Amino acid sequence: MRNLFVSILLLLASGVYGQQVNAPEAKSFVLSTSGQDASGFSLSGFNSTSTLLCAIGLPVSPSGTTFYMTTTTGLTPASGYTLSGNKTRLAFTGTMSNINAALATLKINTTATSGNVQISVSATVNPTGYFYNPSNGHFYRPISAGATYPNAKTLSSQQTFKGQQGYLVTITSSDEDGFIFTNVPQNQIWFALTDEVVEGQWRIDAGPENGTLIKTSNGQTAGNVVGQYNNWAGGEPNNSGNEDYAVTKWNGSQWNDLPANFSNPYVVEFGTWTNPDDQTFTEFYSNSVNHSNGNVLRAQFVYDFGANVNETLFRTKMFTNHQGIVQGSGDYAALNSLGKIDMTPNIDQNKINDGYKSSISAGQVEYSYVNISNGVTTLYIDLSTFGSVSPSTIKRVSILDCYDGPVTYQQTSTYWAHYIIPSTLTKVTDGSSSFNANIRNAGYNNWAFSCSIGFTQNQIFKPHFSDIKYYGSSYSGLYSSIVTVGDVYLAFKQLSDNGIFGNSNVWFTTPVQFANADVDSSGAFNEQDCFILLQHLLGQSTIWNSSNELTSMIKLIKKSDYDAITSNNWQDYRFTSGSYYLPSIVDNQLNSYNVAVTWKGDVNLSHSALPTGVSQPNSSGNKQEIGIQSMAVRTNSSTGDVIADIWMEIKDGMVEVTISVDPGQNQIGATQFIVKFDNSILDHNKTEFSNKNDINFSRKESSLINVGTLNTNGNPISNLGYKIVFKSKSDLKNILGLVSVESIETIGTDSKQLKVKVQ
Amino acid sequence: MKFIRIILLIFSLSLTSCYKENIEPLPKPVVDIFSVSEVSVSDSDQLSFNMEKEGSFILKIQDHNTGQILSKEKINLIAGNNSVKIYTKSLPVGVLYLILDDLNKNEVKRTKIIIK
Repeated sequence: MRNLFVSILLLLASGVYGQQVNAPEAKSFVLSTSGQDASGFSLSGFNSTSTLLCAIGLPVSPSGTTFYMTTTTGLTPASGYTLSGNKTRLAFTGTMSNINAALATLKINTTATSGNVQISVSATVNPTGYFYNPSNGHFYRPISAGATYPNAKTLSSQQTFKGQQGYLVTITSSDEDGFIFTNVPQNQIWFALTDEVVEGQWRIDAGPENGTLIKTSNGQTAGNVVGQYNNWAGGEPNNSGNEDYAVTKWNGSQWNDLPANFSNPYVVEFGTWTNPDDQTFTEFYSNSVNHSNGNVLRAQFVYDFGANVNETLFRTKMFTNHQGIVQGSGDYAALNSLGKIDMTPNIDQNKINDGYKSSISAGQVEYSYVNISNGVTTLYIDLSTFGSVSPSTIKRVSILDCYDGPVTYQQTSTYWAHYIIPSTLTKVTDGSSSFNANIRNAGYNNWAFSCSIGFTQNQIFKPHFSDIKYYGSSYSGLYSSIVTVGDVYLAFKQLSDNGIFGNSNVWFTTPVQFANADVDSSGAFNEQDCFILLQHLLGQSTIWNSSNELTSMIKLIKKSDYDAITSNNWQDYRFTSGSYYLPSIVDNQLNSYNVAVTWKGDVNLSHSALPTGVSQPNSSGNKQEIGIQSMAVRTNSSTGDVIADIWMEIKDGMVEVTISVDPGQNQIGATQFIVKFDNSILDHNKTEFSNKNDINFSRKESSLINVGTLNTNGNPISNLGYKIVFKSKSDLKNILGLVSVESIETIGTDSKQLKVKVQ
Repeated sequence: MKFIRIILLIFSLSLTSCYKENIEPLPKPVVDIFSVSEVSVSDSDQLSFNMEKEGSFILKIQDHNTGQILSKEKINLIAGNNSVKIYTKSLPVGVLYLILDDLNKNEVKRTKIIIK
């Protein structure tokens, strides 16, 4: 039995941290105050010598809110900007260190209007050959090689830049015209404007404004449409020799009409990146924080899914659950790519009564006092002041200007009702209260208040809960990426060395793994869990409840609680409450909820939040639709790598995918390939295994085939290879992209994840 | 009958005289997918490219970030313009490389494709 498993996935694959923008925690600013600290943003992961394009903005804020930075050393403002002065938006270039130095000095100027203050910061490597126009958020790429107008238009539309399709530049404002004049070195530049359909009727010929009529007759100003930008040279357009297309930078900065067959340079336009939080372009990295100006009710969630999950495929909604009635309004809203979402609009503002609040205000009689000793603050209120109010129903209390918050009822004595206050009441003891004249140090750690006592009904928000849903392609695909051969291998290793032989806790590095490995939620991690995991891997059963999939697989835990999970209390975090999270909402304040997300069966925490201080070396930040990725793949060969050769071909009307694995000098204990296929064209026919001695599995889930091999006695696997055969539903001439290998996981018998070179 | 012929002759002459000598029609540009640095592709798009010589080659798709080969097939190409269909439903969304190798695994052409 000792040989049941002798290897483990230690997840030693080197982590490749991607570029990112880090944001600070949300906070509340003071109203009408300039120069408040808004630091905490920083860039990381970028090449230290690269020039970066960075933008700071305030997409949501009370009118008049501005920001500035006190250090701008090494930064160059983007066209149209200056670095100094108060801003609502600023774009500039600089190195990562210079930008971080500037961001560390970010200050906010607030107004008297309370509300949200969202600060966004974005960065990308400043592209060579492209010019960014901050005024409209567009990029421009000048093409100096001459082309006819139709070719310039066609070639422009075939270009892409950071995921955006290009178009022949349109000029819709003097600002844009001036930007091109200043930044594009060529002259006589085609732009998308034509009167080819009706002579003299000039229409924009590409881009978002395609078809817009800007001029109705030829001549410099004749027929210029009000509200549309025209900038024709004197006497132009004149259609001399049938000229139906427009150029800018003609004899200076103005426009002329020319025939199509002229060979002119042109400019390709890409848009739009205006708000730093825009996800318009790929390879742009952004982050934001939602601060508050003044005391504003807010409910901001940050779901921590770890490194390998695409957060944007999850949506959430908040409900109330009061007296057995569950209510919620609006649609489920998507998390952003950082797992953030502001759910303030989901808060049910209709409060309910919850006991009483006692208000201790300045008066003449010492009806109340506090005792502060041994770290405990006890409040005493004279029983004669309560009238019909029961002392045990007091839930909150305000004491002069010293405290306003919850209390816990203790008892009543002959003359006093006793309450515990979760505060040391420094304003009472240090003399800083504005009501110091009403506070008397009575000795023996007692402070008495000359006061009057009032009671009002205490109102609270109804109990809320948030629910989360997955909007990806399929749950089975999601779980195939989360629970893999590595999790099963690791579970068996922990069981054999710890559970069976009673050795020290050597294989699980954090107690959270016990909670995730306890897939039957019995409160104990044992051989039954390992068996269920193996059955899941082999496709003989699933570890999720098919009628309530996400709820049975996911667990949402307050991050501070998650960090505090120990080997003694992990049983308290079994997978029973699923996709629900219970936030405590307090009025007039920024309620921030940091939620750790973890998954049943994710033993190696590849797709779960990592407890603070626990490292997860296999993250790469490469997020795909269902969050899976190859965890040990190399582009270039390195001595000692496993070599995988993947081949796809059409054979006798079938599509065959052949995977052969050469372990080299390695000893492989387990391996798994996830092969994705287009199930609208292909049907899985069969899987053949080269290996005949170990546990082979081939599990079809919608458009995925999970294929792999597992050795259960610690010996290396030999003769590894798979042939996956598909039957085509139609006649195929080629199969490029029809089948792809989405993930590979290979573990050595020496307990380490192996690097794989795919060729 | 003669009158009709005259009318037709005059009509055809008038048509000829009205013909406008337009600019020479411009050939539609042939876009070689390997001639652009990156291009967006959708499912079932036909990818065109020119080859200097015919032969057997390997067409493969590589992940931009990890370098992992995702899809690979052998393909016979002709000298001149070639067209290959790409299927994207099984490919990850994002930036990928389309690479053409010869049978000796020497890279011949490469471009970025963007799957949306």
